[in-house]
Amino acid sequence: MPRSGGGPALSIRGLGKVYGEGAARTRALRDISLEVARGEFVLIVGSSGSGKSTLLNMIGLLDRPTTGTILLDGTDATGLPDGDVSSLRNRKLGFIFQFSNLLADLTVLENVMLPGQIAGAERADKEYAERLLRAVGLSGQMHKRANKISGGQAQRAAIARGLVNRPAVVLADEPTGNLDSVTAATIVQLMKSLAAKLGLTFIIVTHDRHQFGDVDRVVTIKDGRAFEGEHGEHGGEGAAAAAQTGPAMPAAADAGERGGAAQA
Amino acid sequence: MDYRLNLAKRMLFNKRGSLTAAVLAVTVGILVIHVNFVIFQGLFDAIVRDLTDYQFGDIQITDENDYIDRSDTALISWLERIPYVEAAAPRLTSSAEINATRFGQRHEESRVPVVGVDPFRDVRASTIHETVSDGQYVFSRNSLVVGSSIARDLGGVEVGDNLRLMIVDRWGQEQLRRFAVTGIVSSPGGQGFDYSVVMHIETLRDMMSRPGDTGSIMVKMRDPDRSAEVRDYFVSAFPNDDFEAQTIEEAAEQQLAGFRSGIAMINMIGYFGMMSSAFAIVTIQMMLVNGKTREIGIMRAIGARRRDILVIFVMQGMIIGAVGAGTGTAVGLAYTFYAKETRMSFSGSIPLEVSYDWGKISQTALMSFGLAVAASLYPSYKATRMMPVEAMRNA
Repeated sequence: MPRSGGGPALSIRGLGKVYGEGAARTRALRDISLEVARGEFVLIVGSSGSGKSTLLNMIGLLDRPTTGTILLDGTDATGLPDGDVSSLRNRKLGFIFQFSNLLADLTVLENVMLPGQIAGAERADKEYAERLLRAVGLSGQMHKRANKISGGQAQRAAIARGLVNRPAVVLADEPTGNLDSVTAATIVQLMKSLAAKLGLTFIIVTHDRHQFGDVDRVVTIKDGRAFEGEHGEHGGEGAAAAAQTGPAMPAAADAGERGGAAQA
Repeated sequence: MDYRLNLAKRMLFNKRGSLTAAVLAVTVGILVIHVNFVIFQGLFDAIVRDLTDYQFGDIQITDENDYIDRSDTALISWLERIPYVEAAAPRLTSSAEINATRFGQRHEESRVPVVGVDPFRDVRASTIHETVSDGQYVFSRNSLVVGSSIARDLGGVEVGDNLRLMIVDRWGQEQLRRFAVTGIVSSPGGQGFDYSVVMHIETLRDMMSRPGDTGSIMVKMRDPDRSAEVRDYFVSAFPNDDFEAQTIEEAAEQQLAGFRSGIAMINMIGYFGMMSSAFAIVTIQMMLVNGKTREIGIMRAIGARRRDILVIFVMQGMIIGAVGAGTGTAVGLAYTFYAKETRMSFSGSIPLEVSYDWGKISQTALMSFGLAVAASLYPSYKATRMMPVEAMRNA
């Protein structure tokens, strides 16, 4: 599988998704183009049903687009066979879901080690998983069953699991949506600090933009289209065009440099 | 440990109800086969055992011309020089009319089989003497041992009673003699002499006017597995005679043929039972897969391939198969042990001849393991077809 050099972490061109056929046909995403530089911390916002989670599923290779291409860390994921898509998902992407989605049958540590084990024994780095768990403040919970810890702790463990394979892009779908405001704030801080410390690229879907404070970029999804900035603030067709040239924006360029430096 | 095995194990063991049900399905399937084997094969082997011990021996030697006219002593001495042979004894058979008078009432039985035995040789080659329930076995020329059914039909003849027995000899003359009953034989299963009377072979020879003739020679082997070898050796040693030598399987083929096909049918029913347990496993595995939709979606989302999901659920089938086959075999062996140690019989009938057929035991365990794995293939395949997004959404 081809590996990338120093290009963008994610590059999307003309992405569209249509569900159903005939009268039931629904266009969930329309011609979205987006580039995310390495190390960027990007929020995708939008109202319920706008298509933001659909977009995240496409980026996360969990669903196949109807049109367009997705380049993940330089690899064209479009049209790859299922096995290669799984492998790409495993090596290049980290997932943080709204409901942590840890496997209840495993311990916290085993959950965090799982993506590494799926990648192959040589990548099943227990020490690194333990370090990540310590970093997210779960050093005392490692050997507990995943269903025996609190929601906030589970979400921290999910963050550690998302990072364990040193992914090119970390995708988070409403990561604070199921948490109280205090815990949510802690989780946001944790993600931001890890992103800064490890130079990680984060793409986060949220309906609560304000919880995240300052971020590198905000992309708004409305009616299946992407607009650069927060809708209402930079709305309109011009903003949609701006979203397609994302890396040229100052904040994104800064983040790209920071990410590059961190990787170096 | 491979993470897939670890996951398969955890997912299964955390669903104890499903695991127990699936293991029980396999266990019961195996147990049915074991119980069938213990009862029906045990009954078959018991009949073979009793036919061997009471009537035929491991090898039965007869003459194509009805009677062996060579000296039985000479033939038996020849046979007993073969190291594999433990003992040999002559037998002569005929039929008789018997009457007895009990409490002033005369009872008659006709066409009663009469067996002539050499009491000293017979107790070494046969265990029929052990079926004497009252009195003792033939010990003198005028003693008569009566089968329990004949004794009942003759008005309840007991030890010490007198009987009159009439045989038509080889010249067509009626030979009538009075005998004292010295024993009653009774054997469960009906393979013994419950419907016969037993007397000294010399007395029977006299009555049949066949001095020196022998009907058959039953040969008891030290090592029954060598029966065919001894049979061939005997026949080749007497090329100018019309001897016929048969192993017990050959001699009793007529009695056993029907039973053998019955056993095959019962075994087939057992294997159908095992197939039913495979269907139970399919159902339980489908429930397990449906109950783990979210987990499948998560694993797929974090990079597990379809093959990994397939392996996890096939491993579950292997665990179910292994635990079920182990438990079923253990329970089956315990039942076999119990049946063997207690000489199991039903309502006082023939005690089963229980044996451990390790080949069949292994074959049954392997077959049920294989069926459990095969039964998990479709549910496992179904699990691999789930798309991660839908799996997590629908969970």
